[in-house]
Amino acid sequence: MGTVTIDQVRKAYGTLEVLHGVNVNIADGEFVVLVGPSGCGKSTLLRMIAGLEEITSGTISVGGRVVNDLRPKERDIAMVFQSYALYPHMTVAENMGFSLKLARADKAERQRRVAEAARILGLESLLDRRPGQLSGGQRQRVAMGRSIVRDPAVFLFDEPLSNLDAKLRVQMRSEIKALHQRLGTTTVYVTHDQIEAMTMADRIVVMHGGRVEQIGTPLDLYDRPANIFVATFIGSPAMNILEGRISGGRFIAADGSEVDLGGRGATERGHVLLGVRPEHLVPGPGGLPAQIITVEPTGSETHVTARLGGQDVVGAFRERITGRPGDVLSLRPHPAALHLFDADTGERLEA
Amino acid sequence: MRRLPTGLLFALPALIVLLALIAYPVVYTGILSVTDGSGAFTGTENFRDVLSARMTPRAFTNTLWWVGGSIIFQVILGTAAAILLNQEFPGRGIVRAIAVIPWVVPGIVAATTWAWMFHTEFGIINYMLTGPGLMDEPVGWLTNPDTVMPAMIAINVWKLFPFVAIMVLAGLQSIPKDLYEAARVDGASFWEETRYITLPQVRPVLIAVTLLLVIWALNHVTTIYAITKGGPANLTLITPIQIFRLGFESFQFNQAAALSVIFFVIAMVIVALYIRFLASSGEVAR
Ligand SMILES: Nc1ncnc2c1ncn2[C@@H]1O[C@H](COP(=O)(O)OP(=O)(O)OP(=O)(O)O)[C@@H](O)[C@H]1O
Ligand SMILES: [Mg+2]
Repeated sequence: MGTVTIDQVRKAYGTLEVLHGVNVNIADGEFVVLVGPSGCGKSTLLRMIAGLEEITSGTISVGGRVVNDLRPKERDIAMVFQSYALYPHMTVAENMGFSLKLARADKAERQRRVAEAARILGLESLLDRRPGQLSGGQRQRVAMGRSIVRDPAVFLFDEPLSNLDAKLRVQMRSEIKALHQRLGTTTVYVTHDQIEAMTMADRIVVMHGGRVEQIGTPLDLYDRPANIFVATFIGSPAMNILEGRISGGRFIAADGSEVDLGGRGATERGHVLLGVRPEHLVPGPGGLPAQIITVEPTGSETHVTARLGGQDVVGAFRERITGRPGDVLSLRPHPAALHLFDADTGERLEA
Repeated sequence: MRRLPTGLLFALPALIVLLALIAYPVVYTGILSVTDGSGAFTGTENFRDVLSARMTPRAFTNTLWWVGGSIIFQVILGTAAAILLNQEFPGRGIVRAIAVIPWVVPGIVAATTWAWMFHTEFGIINYMLTGPGLMDEPVGWLTNPDTVMPAMIAINVWKLFPFVAIMVLAGLQSIPKDLYEAARVDGASFWEETRYITLPQVRPVLIAVTLLLVIWALNHVTTIYAITKGGPANLTLITPIQIFRLGFESFQFNQAAALSVIFFVIAMVIVALYIRFLASSGEVAR
């Protein structure tokens, strides 16, 4: 059983605490992505699950068994490193079979399992090569093969795609996802790329400064971010945030422009933040005036940066915008898709 | 007319000086080896004389023992020291600094010091062995036929294992940390890490260092000459010392030159074979 339970886990290097009590429950077979900005402690948490880093306090359990004091090999996990960490002097087959060799598995068994993993990953023709003779994508696959061969309860990935070019990254992304669907092994995957997180995860754990900000399915996080950090971190281009207050069921921006909250915001509030995703700004009559600053056509969408309510906002439009910098558009935030946050705590405000 | 490449032009003065410095002694030794004291050409006479001397094969076997014994222990001890010095422990910096001392001490100083330490009556080694009763009577380290060559080898190992340690340590530090982490996740113990990760990774360093050690051991004079001069009964007489004594004690410069030529050729063959088999297979393994 590949459940992983992370309970009140803290990590300190000397007096510097980098994880401040993290709780995550991962179900068997789940694909969980840890995402967050650089330095937020994702790798540290993953390495603590792997047993490469001491757990300062709290407990981590794998398959219902507390693993705090177990060595990596006893934890029934396999890890794919960012650098792949392939053994340079061993062939692909030796790399993949190394854990079995150490476990004194007999040779026939070893060959059978390496061949099986190679077949799954399409590495059959490369088994006699050394890592130095492989491309980045092939190395990545060998690193995964090394994990598959062990048939662990949990796969751990630390930014496995960050050394690949954009195209290969997209391809490997779906390969990893397909592999997960096929093997059904619990997976904990670290990335700082929110697109990777959104596209791959069953559930996402958003981390920030050594804390968990929110845990949920990709669309949960997108539709109902728990706080301003998650709201701006998930989604690209990032959510627009307008400062203002709520009065008479309407949001009043700093410069006095008003936004209809669509029935929400019954209580008067002095200082709030209004979040609007770029695709929820609708061009059309009756909106707020927005003076165009830049227009960036991406092909499928057009991204427009404009000055609205005294602040810069970004809009993403399916239709092509012909405006030029300096022109004024009329943009109406979609009332059903607005997010309100407390300006002091950053927490989400429900209606 | 083709112009000389500019690079070569700049390097030429240095090359000429270097060539003169290397070529002159080699050529002069060659000339000495086929002439007699008055400079008359004698053909292979010097070679025949020196090869028929009883001392020569004796010195040759001694040299093999000396080189083989030194290299094996220098490499093993140096590598082990490097692996230990690469572990994290308090005071590592100081221990690393202390470990290099033998290599820094001038050879002649080391030799004299060790000669005293091995001294039968006053040496600290016998004192420490007989004091607590580990041995009943003092050992004549430098006079006993069974111990004198091992004693010389021990000094040479002591002198040069720090060099191996430093070189291997540099190699160890260039091994990416995540290889060890991957190995730990794969289930490797410390010994398995050493065997499957560390040693293969420092193999190229070991090959290069061993080559240097072989060359140095083949050319070694200081330690042995300072302590035993090749004695007792020629037990520690290695070929370089035989050459040295032939030339500078017996003033048989022509025979010394002939022996030098023979020794030079043999040494070249050994080095060439070594590079051919070990170094090149190392290349393939990369
Ligand atoms: N050995 C260490 N000693 C002291 N501090 C450390 C050590 N390793 C990591 N840290 C600190 O812990 C924090 C979290 O590091 P971690 O590597 O987990 O970040 P990350 O979220 O993986 O970032 P990235 O996306 O850049 O990989 C960082 O602030 C880092 O400086
Ligand atoms: Mg990281």
